[in-house]
Amino acid sequence: MVNPTMPTDPVEPPYAASGTLGLIAAELWDHLWPWSRAAFAGQKAHWRALQAAGLALAAGATLMWVLAAMGRLEAGAIIGWWFGWSVFEVIVRLGSKPYVKEGPWWGRRYRKAGLMDMVCYVGFKNLLIGATLFIALKSAGLLVL
Amino acid sequence: MKMTIPSFLRSLCTAIALSFAAPTVLADAYNARLPDEINSAPDLCSYAPCAEVLPGATAFTERKGRPFYVEGYAEREGKRELVGYVMLSTDITDIPAYSGKPVITLIGMDAQGHFAGVKILKHSEPILLLGIPESAMVRFNEQYLGKFVGSNIEVGRTRPGEDVIGLDAISGATVTVIAQNQVMMTSGAAVARQVGILEPVVREPARLKETGATLDWATLVREGSVKRLTVRPEQVGLPRDGGEPFIDLWFGYLNQPDVGRAILGEGAWRNLMARLDDTEHAIFVIRSGGQESFKGSGFVRGGLYDRVQIRQGSDTFTFRDLDYYNLYNVAAAGAPAYSESAIFIVRPEHQGASFSGAYPWKFVFLGNRVDRATGQRSFANFDTEFWIPAHYLEGGRPVIRKPTPTWLRVWQTRALEIGLFATLLVTVAAVYANRDRLTRASTHKNKWPVNAFKYTAWVISIGYVGFYLMAQPSITQVLTWFHALLFQWTWELFLTDPFIFLFWIFIIVTVFLWGRGLFCGWLCPFGSLSELLYKIGGWVGLKRYQFKLPKPLHDKLKWVKYAVFFGLLAVSVLSMTLAEMLAEVEPFKTTFLVGLFNRSWPYTLFAAGLLGLSIFIERPFCKYLCPLGAALAMPSTFRWFGLKRKQECDSCKACAVGCGSLAIDKDGRIDQRECLLCLDCMVLYTDDHGCPPLAQERKRRTKAGLPLTPIGADGYYIPIKPVAAAKPASA
Ligand code: SF4
Ligand code: SF4
Repeated sequence: MVNPTMPTDPVEPPYAASGTLGLIAAELWDHLWPWSRAAFAGQKAHWRALQAAGLALAAGATLMWVLAAMGRLEAGAIIGWWFGWSVFEVIVRLGSKPYVKEGPWWGRRYRKAGLMDMVCYVGFKNLLIGATLFIALKSAGLLVL
Repeated sequence: MKMTIPSFLRSLCTAIALSFAAPTVLADAYNARLPDEINSAPDLCSYAPCAEVLPGATAFTERKGRPFYVEGYAEREGKRELVGYVMLSTDITDIPAYSGKPVITLIGMDAQGHFAGVKILKHSEPILLLGIPESAMVRFNEQYLGKFVGSNIEVGRTRPGEDVIGLDAISGATVTVIAQNQVMMTSGAAVARQVGILEPVVREPARLKETGATLDWATLVREGSVKRLTVRPEQVGLPRDGGEPFIDLWFGYLNQPDVGRAILGEGAWRNLMARLDDTEHAIFVIRSGGQESFKGSGFVRGGLYDRVQIRQGSDTFTFRDLDYYNLYNVAAAGAPAYSESAIFIVRPEHQGASFSGAYPWKFVFLGNRVDRATGQRSFANFDTEFWIPAHYLEGGRPVIRKPTPTWLRVWQTRALEIGLFATLLVTVAAVYANRDRLTRASTHKNKWPVNAFKYTAWVISIGYVGFYLMAQPSITQVLTWFHALLFQWTWELFLTDPFIFLFWIFIIVTVFLWGRGLFCGWLCPFGSLSELLYKIGGWVGLKRYQFKLPKPLHDKLKWVKYAVFFGLLAVSVLSMTLAEMLAEVEPFKTTFLVGLFNRSWPYTLFAAGLLGLSIFIERPFCKYLCPLGAALAMPSTFRWFGLKRKQECDSCKACAVGCGSLAIDKDGRIDQRECLLCLDCMVLYTDDHGCPPLAQERKRRTKAGLPLTPIGADGYYIPIKPVAAAKPASA
């Protein structure tokens, strides 16, 4: 029997029952860290390979922001990297943390993420992260266009 | 590690863009490539069509004056006779238009100060590229011909009582024409004042106050008596050079005794003042960083310093060799080391203008900027404002009236319309927030309590918002933000269109509260028009021809709009111009901004086709093509307050069958990205004749003679709880 009150089936992430502060910390971690150990351990070889590749790519993306922060990279390159990473993050998350929040952001309802849900989540989150970093770098005068 | 968009890709995009434009409009001046010399050559008229804007003139002088203009002469009976003046707007002002870039205009004015001709040499206004023909702009400019430069000319109504001459705006390009009017009036007045047609601006001279304080450098900087102007290499299109500035200058006003003494030392200051009469003013400049000379390497005796100038209001003051004195030493303790220095004298009477130390002025460094993408050079001015600290003036700083910025003028002139529009937005949000009351008052047979509000919103949004205000939100605005975020975020740019600005605040807020449905389903002018046509089609008896695509097909086609959105986003990174053109997939411009019958037939056919199709399919464009809808659908995934469902929805099909947006799947789940919040399913939710599980319960209770309790928030009758019998009173 499906639950029609949610667009997809409800899911409980491991931290769903923690206290308010714990939940905020766990969610923050979730937004920033797409991998999960549980998913990594339980998955087949090719998934693990994919995860490893993802780690490498993430390292690349991080390095990219560091380079940008050192004023060594142009806007086009940053956007390209950030977009490429975002695509990969969608794939990684579908394997490791395949859920999104449902309803108010301060609530505790989560549901299974479909592909489009994940694209929307990662796209929106990374747009905000990207914009924040971009504005920070620009106002620090490290990135000039 | 450098990665840029390959230039061939850029050129390719531009080429595609132009080939798109060519057959449809004559976009002559759109991003036209002007010769570099037009900005700098003394002989302006060999590069610009001066004769076109000053009819009758056959010979032109070189650029003269500050700011620049040229004189045009005619040969009459062997005698040279002054016909008038020609000026290039960007020599005088860089007021930007809607695109954030100035519209480069060549302006002719006769010897008595009447506009004689106007020609746009280059503009970057997307709205004039597609949509509004450039001829509209030409017609706008023709309104200036014969008008006196000293008149009060404004975009808007003529108000004879207040001496205001009105110009007809171009609907849909208000911002562009308001900026253009400022450019025309500023340029004309600047030249008219120089040549004596208009009275020069007279400014009260400063009454300087001496405090007797001994000032060190740090204090001078802190109180604003010494100011700094730094230009970084990337601001002039050069690579960053390890943080080293292109030029780093300090400057200050020496006539004030405390400051003058602190900088020059007592003796030198007295000497200097002895050489000035009381209309003359001394300014010092030192260079503490950078390699570039502010005196200029090409400077020759008898010539003009062409890299620095002073501006006060619309008056510009330049320096000749006689206006220069050596600055040997900066006396103030703690002054930075410097490698170039000067004292410049402002001699207003030489330039037919007045300078006053009491009012703010700007120190300007004139540079060249090389555009990295195109290699084109353009003038770039860098300035820092100086206003003498109040405690050095008898009676403090004078009150000055700053000219109202363009965006503020738009808000002022359209205050009433803006108020009405804001009321509309707030009302719709308030009505929707109270949807529960409306849906409960409706039944599946009579939805008027909801529809009366919704249809009213549609009609207002089509007529008032769409056709009258032309405030149709568009995907190009989203793309513009992406770019503004990356390159330069200027609030003014967004504030200049108050309706779009307010609309987007509404959209962002409501998308997070309820999803995109409130905008798309209730207020989008095109969406409303589209669905209204569908409804009208039904009412006039076309119902049997109206249909929905089969759900499986719909579920495939609905992805197309996302592809359109991402496609546009990707193209916009390469070329905003091309993206603007491809954004014609939105029929909004054709429908509201330009009008169905004012565009070339492919556009009209497309828009009319979509609207025609809307009579038979509900909102085909919204469902399958709209990139804006797609862009708004994505964050709608995380809307806070969704619609209600009950467990039985998983097997009941009543709502799904009635959903015009095909947003309810076979399990009764609502896809919030597709739902347009029409509220039909919410009417059923509490309708005990329409919602099957409720109807069943109603029948059961009626048969059993049980009361029909009200329906709770969960969509069920409030259970009948037997009230516990009162306890028998204890004896
Ligand atoms: S989908 Fe597009 S056209 Fe339709 S209502 Fe939404 S924004 Fe308007
Ligand atoms: S019927 Fe319900 S799900 Fe469908 S569009 Fe209307 S409000 Fe949304």
